[in-house]
Amino acid sequence: MFFLSRQTVGRHRSLYAGSFVALAVGVFLLGLAATATAATIAYHGPTSASISVTTLGGDGTAPQNVKVPLSDADVSGLQTVLSLVGTISGFITIFVIASTFAFAVASRRREFGLLRLIGATPRQIRRMVLGEALAVALAASLTGALAAQLATPLLLRRASYTELAPVKLEPASPWVPLAIAVAAGLLVAMLGARSAARRAGRVGAIDALREAALEPPRIGPVRVVFGLLFLAGAIVMLTLIRPSSGEGAVPLAMFTPMVMVIALTLLAPLVVPLVGRLWAVPLVAWTQVSGRLARSNVLAAPRRSASLAAPILAISAIAGSMVLSLSFAADSAAATIRDAVRAPIVVTGAAPVDSAQVKAVDAGLPLRVVRVAADYAELEDAEGIDPAIAAQTRDLTVRSGSLAGLTGNTVAVSKEMAGFESYHVGDEIPVVFPDRTPVKLRVVAIVKDAFGVNPSFLIPLDLARKHAPEAQTERSFVLPADGVAPADLVKQVPGAQLATDWEADQADGVRKGNRLGLVMLLGPAALYSAIAIANTLLMGSLQRRHEFVTSRLLGATPAQLRRMVLWESSLVGTIALSLGTVITVTVGVLIRHAMTSGVADVPMTVPWGILLGIGALCLILAVGSALAPTTYLLRRSQPSAAVD
Amino acid sequence: MTATAPTYPSTAPAGPPALLLDSITKTYRSKAGAVDALRGVTYHFARGSFTAVMGPSGSGKSTLLQCAAGLDHPTTGTVVLNGVTLLGLNEVELTKLRRAEMGFVFQAYNLLPSLTVYDNVALPLRLTGRRPARNDVQRVLEQVGLEGKAKRRPAELSGGQQQRVAIARALITRPSVFFADEPTGALDSGTSRQILGLLREATDRAGQTVVMVTHDPVAAAYAERVLFLSDGLLAGHLDRATPAQIAAAMSDLEG
Repeated sequence: MFFLSRQTVGRHRSLYAGSFVALAVGVFLLGLAATATAATIAYHGPTSASISVTTLGGDGTAPQNVKVPLSDADVSGLQTVLSLVGTISGFITIFVIASTFAFAVASRRREFGLLRLIGATPRQIRRMVLGEALAVALAASLTGALAAQLATPLLLRRASYTELAPVKLEPASPWVPLAIAVAAGLLVAMLGARSAARRAGRVGAIDALREAALEPPRIGPVRVVFGLLFLAGAIVMLTLIRPSSGEGAVPLAMFTPMVMVIALTLLAPLVVPLVGRLWAVPLVAWTQVSGRLARSNVLAAPRRSASLAAPILAISAIAGSMVLSLSFAADSAAATIRDAVRAPIVVTGAAPVDSAQVKAVDAGLPLRVVRVAADYAELEDAEGIDPAIAAQTRDLTVRSGSLAGLTGNTVAVSKEMAGFESYHVGDEIPVVFPDRTPVKLRVVAIVKDAFGVNPSFLIPLDLARKHAPEAQTERSFVLPADGVAPADLVKQVPGAQLATDWEADQADGVRKGNRLGLVMLLGPAALYSAIAIANTLLMGSLQRRHEFVTSRLLGATPAQLRRMVLWESSLVGTIALSLGTVITVTVGVLIRHAMTSGVADVPMTVPWGILLGIGALCLILAVGSALAPTTYLLRRSQPSAAVD
Repeated sequence: MTATAPTYPSTAPAGPPALLLDSITKTYRSKAGAVDALRGVTYHFARGSFTAVMGPSGSGKSTLLQCAAGLDHPTTGTVVLNGVTLLGLNEVELTKLRRAEMGFVFQAYNLLPSLTVYDNVALPLRLTGRRPARNDVQRVLEQVGLEGKAKRRPAELSGGQQQRVAIARALITRPSVFFADEPTGALDSGTSRQILGLLREATDRAGQTVVMVTHDPVAAAYAERVLFLSDGLLAGHLDRATPAQIAAAMSDLEG
């Protein structure tokens, strides 16, 4: 059947143009993420910056030698973002491909019927559609991969020396990452085309003789079951967004909307008319015939409406939840930093101790140690502190044990880390210091979490000095002497800031980092969704020539038809956006609750501008890409065309 | 309208029926209620016969054709094609039977616009997994008078030429039964005559059976027998009738 696929793709170029563009962009993003990831993997940092350690073994795992690079965390931020970009691109690609192929199949019922009539088996039809998908996917994937290869140096130049990757990144060998991207593109296209192919196979020979391409009115039980399963999964994930999830709450808040979107898309033929009925009430009340027509068009073809709503729902829910979650996370980080700093002054770098105006300086030494566990070894942030001073300058509330014993080979562990690894006071944690000395650290205390101020591991200052001789103080917390106003002292000490200013800077830094991540994550996803939205609506409208001509014959003016399409696309857009809003608000409320428990007076920053911008953009795209082809069609279809 | 009746072979070919309809009923159910399109039709189509089915619109003639060709399932009754009962066949078996034994010609020419004339005609062979022999395709193209047009695409042909491509496509598998639904509905009378002549030739030369639904008495006059259908029941027949006789019978039915 492949010879047929090849020829039919050529014939239906306009039908497949959307799939081609969508997939090419998808593979481009995947490829870019893959080549950039390869570049981060190829990046080895300063030479000799890795430590060989032997894991502990036990619990059925043998001890093994692992190499822990000392600088990998430098690019791990970028790697995380890139893997998210890849995931989101892949997710939306499946989505768009499935809907464009479903559209292509639905509008070719007669052709498939004809092939069945002259002797094609359902299997042959399925293979033909899959063959078409393969032909399109192959061309699109190669185009996307080529574009990704060309754009990689550009991306790496932009990503180098940023918060996510404060190093210089060079392109690595592109073959493996691009092969992965192309393979992923083909896989995604085949997955997306599968259900469309199956539907094409179900077209009967008799469909060749039927004029109207009416869609089957009911949705299949399998689809409903899967929809409900995904919905249940999403609800379970939602219940996990709670205070006890700690840092895991943010990724959950990012991925739950995707599961929710899948669930709602599967159930869309049921949900969309329901929500549509609601929104149609004011529409019908305000407009005359055009609103009424739009309402019946949206409600009478729930499947079509659902596939038009799907990309809008997907991007609004995912982008909305992500923007809101990250903003709330930044709020919570700001509050945590604020609560954790007790000293009134913070000095960047080391502070002079000998001044009479200074009572105490908490100049912690940041260092990284390799923590050795049963079957892995991991680089951890640690800080060498003088517990007597640090307990005054920052929040080191002890949950159990005592900081008084923080001398010699000992460690104080943050509550969250202790919870993850189930450390208790008296346990011994084997670590390897930057000077390659293995030491067993005895846990003397579990202290309150203070993200952004205290790392998870606090060790005695002397121990840090001994094993990390190159460590430099990055910031010091300063207590002024009695009677000295902090505001005065700040002016005299170079690099000094009032703690409140420093806290604000830190919070700003978090938001700035988030913004970069958001742009990298949502920029491509938004571009992609825009293509998808325009694509489905364009194809949907172009299929309606006959309907428009008939309506014109019945006496509808072009203006009436344009209004009808305007209301229709607004209605679909509003339905999708309201579902997206429900998801965003739900996730927002839960993440806010999870992030603020145990912290008082957390500021709340809702990025209204961005959120409303996303909504407005979706609506403008939806209405614009429905109206443009309608205007085009109306200009070319006089009522007399109905007679042809 | 031409008044000259075509000539027929003096004797109808004998043998077991090519197509047998036994008490076919077809009921369409919808929200508005049930509609009986066929209410018990029994008929034997003899091998090598050319039969026209006529009737007012809504009389069930298209439904009859679709049930006979296995495109639609009758509500009750059986269809036997060359000794094979269609009722027990699944979709794939039905498809294989269709491509081996049946040819279709419809009012809409139903050609694939993306394929050349040659590829359209060869398509049924390719669907069976055979490599079409160039000679076979050329032969049927000559048979329908389209030699030299093999490389054209359907959009470059006239309506009559497209219909001839459709007939060539039906001929290529040498089916035993042709189903034609208003094959001349969209053609002028001269072109219609050529098309009907081709169907006539299929029965006369190759012993193929033709079942043709039409509302045009001139087209029906090419058949040896005209069956009249009314309200889902057979209402009579005419053998070797002239267009005038057929038209009179039709107006009786409609009146």
